[in-house]
Amino acid sequence: MPIDFSRSDQGDVSTLRIAGTLDVNTAPELGPMIDKLVEERRVRVVVDLSGLDLIDSSGVAALVALYKRSRVHGGQVSVQGARDQPLAIFKLLRMDKVFTI
Amino acid sequence: MGSASVIRLTSPCTLRHRALAVRLVAETCRLVRGEGTADEQSMGYDLRDPFDAEIVSAFAEIYNNIVLHAYGRREGETIDIAFHIGAGMLTIEIRDTGVTFDPTLVPEPDLDALPEGGMGLHIARSMLDEVVYEPGPPNLWRLTKRHRPAATSTKAS
Repeated sequence: MPIDFSRSDQGDVSTLRIAGTLDVNTAPELGPMIDKLVEERRVRVVVDLSGLDLIDSSGVAALVALYKRSRVHGGQVSVQGARDQPLAIFKLLRMDKVFTI
Repeated sequence: MGSASVIRLTSPCTLRHRALAVRLVAETCRLVRGEGTADEQSMGYDLRDPFDAEIVSAFAEIYNNIVLHAYGRREGETIDIAFHIGAGMLTIEIRDTGVTFDPTLVPEPDLDALPEGGMGLHIARSMLDEVVYEPGPPNLWRLTKRHRPAATSTKAS
């Protein structure tokens, strides 16, 4: 399944929903969305991964980049809804603590 | 290897063909666990079983490494994959003719530093029982994992 993502804003909170596969092939598609969230200096970004089936290290790197770049201007990034394979990867890489899953 | 059955795939080794190989890995995992293949109409991955999730995670990283580093994204290269399905065990042998490397020189990632790269081999090693690399040509990756029905966690904590 290819990637499917969307963004919705409510006040200071932006929710980025990512479904399908976030990997070496699809992570670049997410780049412009991440750039925009960072450029707009969003106060809080919630990444909803409840529809994500598969992630690889390239996908993790994209989310880490969002986290690091947002922190530069004081923004917060959290992840919710991760399950199955993506959750296993986050735990292995200790990202579950960083993203407060 | 004396396995009960073997499934083989020879494919162009590009990122465009990655999903094909990954899907075959996922389906082979179901066979090892004694289940049939997934719903033919399903376009997503069913990786609810930790065994499947861990093997697919590891394989995907090794495949990426071969495409990106061994072959340097060159078109026209191939990869040979053999799935040896044993009793409660899956061994995947992956052969490529790209640039060799020494896995012992690959450092473990500093996870506290939130790395944005260098995590692939760590994922593969952590998710599997054994990862063997033999430089070629052809280079050989041998990935092995036993299915433990009661065990639902990775080796790493």
